[in-house]
Amino acid sequence: MTVQDLDPLIHVPARLRIVATLAALPEDDTLSFTRLQELIGLTPGNLITHLRKLEEARYIETNKTVDGAGARTSVAITTRGRTALEDYTATLRELLGEL
Amino acid sequence: MNGQPDPAGSGMSSRFDTFSPPPPEPDPWETAAEGGTDDDEADELDPRDAAALLAQTTQQAERQFDEQPAFVLFVAGLTVLIAYGAVWFSVRHQHPYVGPTGTALGVLYGVLAVWIVFVVTVLRRRLSGRSSPRRQLEGIVFASVWICVYVYQGALYHTDHDHAIAYGVWPAVAPLLVVGAAAAGYEAARGKRGNAAFAVAVVALAACGAFAGPAGVWGVMSVGLCSLCLLAGAARYRQRRA
Repeated sequence: MTVQDLDPLIHVPARLRIVATLAALPEDDTLSFTRLQELIGLTPGNLITHLRKLEEARYIETNKTVDGAGARTSVAITTRGRTALEDYTATLRELLGEL
Repeated sequence: MNGQPDPAGSGMSSRFDTFSPPPPEPDPWETAAEGGTDDDEADELDPRDAAALLAQTTQQAERQFDEQPAFVLFVAGLTVLIAYGAVWFSVRHQHPYVGPTGTALGVLYGVLAVWIVFVVTVLRRRLSGRSSPRRQLEGIVFASVWICVYVYQGALYHTDHDHAIAYGVWPAVAPLLVVGAAAAGYEAARGKRGNAAFAVAVVALAACGAFAGPAGVWGVMSVGLCSLCLLAGAARYRQRRA
């Protein structure tokens, strides 16, 4: 097993933190883009780029709602995303066991 | 209205127009330009660093999202000790039992009101930016069940039940029996063993506490619930530190 076996989409510091943060939410919960940005500490532009990549892989889903207070984008991890993180963690464990 | 010209021509100066809704906040998702991630992508992430980052991020996120932190359980212990203890203090020598005094009820409801404000403040911070249709439904169901317990207490009084039941055993025990049983089933269904065990312990305490009689039950519940909350708080604290 090598580092190449790790999911390249998750094996990037910013995306690893995004996926790990969203996976810590209870199922069915969504997180606002603003709160996620506050927790991760990335610039909005940078965060959007990472989120789009994760969304293209269907690891996360975004949902936009509009109410009286304005537009709000919420982000949630999908089942596929949770599975990918579990696989990533398992691969990481195996790798560290070998090191 | 105030003698100043109204540029909007609405008859009210915009300075004093507190009725109009505030302008909608821009959604960062819409307004932010996409940023490059080249620097990030180029980072060689060592598996050890990745494992450390994953563990640290998960721990931080869980702490941020934790809806039942240890300190809330510690405060809950103190709250029930004072609230139930005040009632027990007012009824401990009553023969026959007539019920808690107005002062004791004032302490009970006052302490509970402070507790509710405290929990709402903590939850508001923890749930900031989060949404879940499930949580709203949970709140409605549990609040309805809780209210029904007190409606039934009214029925007990209305049907000329003994004060020892209507103002003693029932209000001290029934809310915890009913809501505790509902919570135990709910937490078990979600696979939250610790929360389910805590709810079952509350139900068991309430069931056994009823044997202490209308006055004694308040004392038993005061000390028993306080001990359970402190134990649960300590367990949660250890779990978070592990």
